[in-house]
Amino acid sequence: MITMPQFRVLQPENVSQAVEFLAKHKNLRVLAGGSDLVVNLRNKLFTPEYVLDIKGIKDLQGIKENQDHFSIGTLTTLTEISQNPFIKEIYPVLAKAAGLVAGPNIRNMGTIGGNICLDTRCYWYNQSYFWRKSCNFCLKKDGDICHVAPGGKYCWAAYSGDTAPALLTLDASIKIANPKGEKTLALKDFFVMDGIKKYNLESNEIITEILIPKASAGLQGVYKKFRIRDSVDYPLAGVAIAGKVDKEGNCQKISVALTAVNPAPVLVTEITDLLVGKKLTDDLVEKSVELARKTAKPMKTTLSTMPYRRHMIGVFVKQGLEEILK
Amino acid sequence: MSVQLNINNKDYVVEVAPMKRLLDVLREDIGLTGTKEGCGEGECGACSVFIDGSVVNSCLVPVCQTNGSKITTVEGLSNNELSKLQQAFIDCNAAQCGICIPGMLIAAQALLDLNPNPSRGEIREAIAGNLCRCTGYMKIVDAIEIAATANKG
Repeated sequence: MITMPQFRVLQPENVSQAVEFLAKHKNLRVLAGGSDLVVNLRNKLFTPEYVLDIKGIKDLQGIKENQDHFSIGTLTTLTEISQNPFIKEIYPVLAKAAGLVAGPNIRNMGTIGGNICLDTRCYWYNQSYFWRKSCNFCLKKDGDICHVAPGGKYCWAAYSGDTAPALLTLDASIKIANPKGEKTLALKDFFVMDGIKKYNLESNEIITEILIPKASAGLQGVYKKFRIRDSVDYPLAGVAIAGKVDKEGNCQKISVALTAVNPAPVLVTEITDLLVGKKLTDDLVEKSVELARKTAKPMKTTLSTMPYRRHMIGVFVKQGLEEILK
Repeated sequence: MSVQLNINNKDYVVEVAPMKRLLDVLREDIGLTGTKEGCGEGECGACSVFIDGSVVNSCLVPVCQTNGSKITTVEGLSNNELSKLQQAFIDCNAAQCGICIPGMLIAAQALLDLNPNPSRGEIREAIAGNLCRCTGYMKIVDAIEIAATANKG
């Protein structure tokens, strides 16, 4: 039977109190919506001494307007984002991605900050302690071998968040609070192509806000994902596209981001370079599909096969580009 | 820690470990065993409950996050007699093994509260997070549709 180990729980009332706790306690995990962390704690993937429960901090919820950004509080739920009429209108790619995360219950709990900070996933990692022990553990947790690429010392666990690729296409950045103060980081510089390190967030830092530039407002957007069960699962391949055409039908702006096929979500900037200023032709679609397929490096981290996941990336890129640019 | 909960309109104070799951508190400390544990990892929805009006999986909620909250479990749907929704599930034979039904009822109730006249597509979307391995969902969707019609009449 899997039981919940016990931890000391800290419940700050505001961000400055949260940061004080972060400075004071080293062995700590941040708890927001809980839909990712609670399972991982039970599987002993994390064994902190303290859990910092930030769910009660009111300042971190809701959507605000700044001078040249819209700011989404890190604790805003995925349901709220997917149903917010304003977000649906100006950032459709984000509303669609948030609306496709897991099932309705999880979206009611899960937060945008938590979805960005989702742990990377692998068949050999997201298992109970007992299961992992019987396989001699793995590189990412407790062991020193990789079952996905034996002999390698690189973790291929796939990043499986849905909202991060959408935010990448919107050129979003994040605000991070730490004991030294505050800093802002472009989302594309946040992620690291390594299944273990995952992202540039130290153990004493939390994301407080997600900033989306007003310059990205009004872009058309699509988000498409492949999963085993369409009602609840994590993506096994996902594509977010945002862009628009000008009056003559030429591509004015386009960004394509992939998820669930690498240890981090990635922007395929080559597609942007290829398409901007041109009318979409079948030939350009084919070239874009090839660029996306080359960027995707799915490994045997799930029960679905690598060629099929890469194939679906191509299918989604083709469908998405045709929806937006034709 | 000491946690105050209002469950099905009744106040409780329980002394529990802060990271204990709400599901376990409901079943073990309060004795409300209607809420079931299916997968324990947020995939199946058998443990769905309302917390302050929104449906969540109680197997993923540490009880420390619910201090002062209003919780409705499947037991809270009926008031001495079965609700129209519960009666519709019986009339349609929507339950087979039955373990998913408490979660299905909660998800269906959440839908009917917001949208008293849902289409079959909307019903299927509302119960997307609730897995049933027996019925194939047809009779469950039928039951929710009939309950919605009964609401109108």
